[in-house]
Amino acid sequence: MTDPLEALAQRVAERVIDLALDVVDLNALVEAIDLNAVINRIDINEILKKVDVSALINQVDINEILQRVDVDAMLDRIDMNDLVQRLDIDTLVGQTDLGAIIASSSGGIASEALDAARSQAVGLDGFIDRWVQRALRRKHPAPSMPPALFEGQPVESQPPDAEPPDAEPADAEPADAQPPDARAQS
Amino acid sequence: MSARSQAADYVSAQGNYAGSVSRFLAFVIDAAVSTGLFALGLAATSFGVQVVTGHSVTWSRSNIVVAIIYAGWEFFYFGYSWAASGKTFGMAVLGVRVVRADGAIADPWRGAVRALAFPLSFLLFGLGFLGILVQREHRALHDLIAGTAVVYAWDARAARLRFLAREAGAGTLGAAPGTPTTPSPPG
Repeated sequence: MTDPLEALAQRVAERVIDLALDVVDLNALVEAIDLNAVINRIDINEILKKVDVSALINQVDINEILQRVDVDAMLDRIDMNDLVQRLDIDTLVGQTDLGAIIASSSGGIASEALDAARSQAVGLDGFIDRWVQRALRRKHPAPSMPPALFEGQPVESQPPDAEPPDAEPADAEPADAQPPDARAQS
Repeated sequence: MSARSQAADYVSAQGNYAGSVSRFLAFVIDAAVSTGLFALGLAATSFGVQVVTGHSVTWSRSNIVVAIIYAGWEFFYFGYSWAASGKTFGMAVLGVRVVRADGAIADPWRGAVRALAFPLSFLLFGLGFLGILVQREHRALHDLIAGTAVVYAWDARAARLRFLAREAGAGTLGAAPGTPTTPSPPG
């Protein structure tokens, strides 16, 4: 006896709701709601506490996401030169296997002896130069390198016909300005 | 001086005017190599003449012809090396090279002029070489005449990496992780 009545009541309710929805302008209703006020009343932190982030991450297919990433485009936006400049080469070579790789690939008795001889010669050059400068009692330190090399360009990259902007005549008395890496002890 | 700062000095010296020791050692090597090659050439010539003619030929130092050939050979050895690459064999060993006074690569004719003016520096008891010691840019008389200078040009960055690698292999770098380093100049 109750089943036909319930079915009838449900049909009536559905019909009423349909009619009500037809009458009501939902867009106008949503516009009338102050969503900011509603959001302000929600405690997001409280909601986040209830979220199981680990479970959420487990549902995410990372591989699927990575496949969508355009790595080439991303790399194009990275300034590799700037990145390399930030590297601490000393630490990298000293604390990783990179040092062993360099030593095994380029090291040898000949290169080691050559490096040692050159560095010793450079050291002696500086030592003698300092004493000569003291003996001559020069007040102003001498320029450490030719003007075209001030900017740190390798010697091999300087074209023969290149004229540096501040180049002095070959035999002119050099200016007192010191390059950035002038000899510290001279 | 710590190992790291010493290694950093390798790089900071690149492009600087080369000093007297490096240049003198380079010259000693070049003198030995060029004279050795000349002696070998004379010996080969003597052997060739003996094989062809059956007569032995001896060379005397006082022979003016030998002296002239030797002078010509030395001019060719130094002049060609400076004109072609800016460095002789000895300079390559010591990691120095000839550049124009302003630092650019020297024109080939400057190498030839430098080789021609080189003997002048020996005159007056080698006073021409005094410029390497006292001149502000370490330029000798033949450098001033040819408008050249000598700078350190070896691959200091690679040498520095090799040095650090050897230090790391020896386990000495790990003992001083906080040692300050000299910043490397660009390039």
